[in-house]
Amino acid sequence: MEYFIQQLFTALGYGSALAVLAAGYTMTFGIIGLVNFAHGEVFMIGALAAYFIIQVAMLPFWAGIIAALAGSVIIALMIERVAFKPVRGVGMITLFITSLGASTVLRNTTILLFNDRLKKFPRPNFLEGAYKLGNLFIYKRIVFVVLITILICIMLVFLVKKTKIGIAMRSISYNINIAQTLGINTEMVIIIVFMISASLAGISGLFWGILFGSVQASMGALPVVYAFIASILGGVGNVLGAIIGGYIIAIGSSLLVAYLPLDLVGFKPLFAWVIFFALLIIKPSGLFRANIK
Amino acid sequence: MTSYKELNRPIKYIIGLVFLLAILYLFDSFLNGFWLMLVLMFGVNVILAISLTITNGWIGFFSIGHGGIMLAGAYAAAFFTVPPSLKRDILDLNLPSFMLDVQISFFPALLIGGIIGTIFGVFLVLPALRLRGFYFCTGTLGFNIIMATIAENLPNVTNGAMGLREFPAYSNIWWVWGIAIVVIYISIRLKKSYIGRAFIAIGKDQDLAEHMGINLLKYKTIAFAISSFFAALGGVLWVHLILNLFPNAFGLILVFEVVTMIVIGGMGSITGAVIGAAIITFFAEVLSPFEEGFYLMGIEVPSLLGLTTVLSGVLLIVVLIFKREGIMGEKEISLNNLRNLLKRKQSEGKIL
Repeated sequence: MEYFIQQLFTALGYGSALAVLAAGYTMTFGIIGLVNFAHGEVFMIGALAAYFIIQVAMLPFWAGIIAALAGSVIIALMIERVAFKPVRGVGMITLFITSLGASTVLRNTTILLFNDRLKKFPRPNFLEGAYKLGNLFIYKRIVFVVLITILICIMLVFLVKKTKIGIAMRSISYNINIAQTLGINTEMVIIIVFMISASLAGISGLFWGILFGSVQASMGALPVVYAFIASILGGVGNVLGAIIGGYIIAIGSSLLVAYLPLDLVGFKPLFAWVIFFALLIIKPSGLFRANIK
Repeated sequence: MTSYKELNRPIKYIIGLVFLLAILYLFDSFLNGFWLMLVLMFGVNVILAISLTITNGWIGFFSIGHGGIMLAGAYAAAFFTVPPSLKRDILDLNLPSFMLDVQISFFPALLIGGIIGTIFGVFLVLPALRLRGFYFCTGTLGFNIIMATIAENLPNVTNGAMGLREFPAYSNIWWVWGIAIVVIYISIRLKKSYIGRAFIAIGKDQDLAEHMGINLLKYKTIAFAISSFFAALGGVLWVHLILNLFPNAFGLILVFEVVTMIVIGGMGSITGAVIGAAIITFFAEVLSPFEEGFYLMGIEVPSLLGLTTVLSGVLLIVVLIFKREGIMGEKEISLNNLRNLLKRKQSEGKIL
C-alpha cells in the first residue's frame, strides 16, 4: 500500500506537467480546431530559455520564470503568424501538416544550435529535499508543482467562465463566423488564446525542468502527443477536462511501470495509445463535454 | 515511315521498355559513389512517395503511420537475408535449426517482406473505418510509435535497440529502379481503372461515394493493401541499401520527409510524387556532407545534423502557404497530354 501511495504521489508531479501542457493544448484545439504539434516545441523553448537564464547567465530563479514565459509566448506568436494564420480555415489536415512542419523545423534547428544532450536544470534551493511522513517521501518540488497547478486550474476556470475574454473565447469556439458578426474581435481573441496557451506550455516546461532536473532539445516530442490524447480524453476545448486527462495518463502510465514485470516496462509508451484507441472506439466525444466551458 | 502514334500497343511497350533498360544499363555501368547513391535513394523515395499518394492523395486518409508498415516488412525480409551466423549468435530464437540456417535470395525475401507489410497495413484500415481527418492522422502516428516500441521490446527477434547489421547489399540499380518502374506502371494503370477512380471518389466525398454504390470497406482495404505493399517493398529496399535496421529507422522524421515529397509534388499525382521525390532526394543527398561535417580548404565546417529535415520542413510550410496544391496538383504528365498541349499551342499559332 505504501508503495502504491508513493508511486501515486510521484506520478502527480509528472501529471501536473502534462496537465498544464494539455490545458494550453486544448484551448487552441477548441478555438480554431488546431492539432498543434508545435506546442511541444513551445514547451521545449520555454524550458530551454529558463535553463539559459538560470544556468548559463547565472541569474536568479524568478528571472528564469520570466524568461520561460517570454520565450514560449514569443515563439508561439511567431509560429501562429508564419505557419497557422495563412492556412487558417483551409482545413484541419492542412493545419495539422503545417504544425508538424513547424514542429520539425523548430526541434531540429534547436538541436543544430544547442545539440541534443541532456542539460542539467538547476533547481532552486527551496525546492530541494523532502518531508518524511512515516515511510513516505513527500518531495517539496512535487508539492510545489501540484499547488501551482491547482492555482492555474482555478485561474483558468475563472478566466473562461467569468471574464469577458472567456465569454468571447467560448463564442468563437462554437462558431467563429457568428462571433465575428456579433462584433467580437476574433483575431485579437485568437492571439490572446495563443499567448495563454504558450505561457501554460512555458510553465509546463519549467515544471519539467524542476521535476526531472534536466532539459534537452527533443524533450517536446512525446509530451505533446500525450497532451493531445489528454485533451481528447477531457473533451476538446474543455480546460478542466484536459487537466484531469493529463493526470489520468501520467498516473496510469506510472502505475503501469510500477506494477508491470521488468521485461514489459519498455511498453510504457503504449499506455496512452491504448487509452486513445479505446476512447475513440467507446466514447469519441471524450469524458467531459466538449467546447471551451 | 509510320509515326510513333500509329504503332500498336505492344510495340510501343517494347520500345519504352528497351529505352528504360538502356538507361538503367547506362546508369549501372557509369555511375558510382555519390551519384549512384543519389539515383538509388531517388528510386526508393519514388516507391515510398507513390505508396503514400495512394492513401493520402487518392482516398484522402492522411496516414503518417507508413513507417510502421515499412518496419514490419523490413524486419520480415531481414530475417531471411541476414547471414545465419548473425541469427545464431545474436538472436535468441527457439526455432528449429533449418529456420535459423535459411538464407534466401533477394526476390523471395522482398515478396515475404511485402506480404507481411500488407498484413500489417490492413490493420490501418480498422481505424480508417471509424476515424476521419486528424483523428485518423494521430491514430496512424500511434501505429507508428506502437510498431517501433514493439520492435524495441522484442530483443530476441529484432535485437532490440542495437539493431541488425551485416545485410548483404542487394539494392542495386536493377532492383531499385526495376521495382520503381513496376510501381509507377501499376499506379498509372490503377489511376485510370475503375478501382482507382473509386479511390479518388472516396477521397473527394466519402458519403457521396457510398451513395454512388462504392463499397467503402472493400475499396479502403484494397487501397491500404496496395499502398502498404509498396511501402514494405520500399522499406526492404531501403534496408538493403543502408545496410542496417533499427527500431527507430522509419520514425516520424522519415515519414515526414515522404509527406513533404507528396505535398510538394501535388497530392494525388503520380508525376508529382516522382518530382517531389526527386527534389527532396537531391536536397538530402547534396546536404548530407554538411550533416556529418567536413573540411573545406582547411576550415572545419561543423556537423549540422538534421539540416535536411529543417529545410524540408521549411519547404513544406512555404508550399502549403503559397501553392497549396503543389507543383502538379492532381494532374499528370503523359505523352498524350504533351501531344495535345503541343497541338493546341500550334493551332493557336504560338509555336511554329
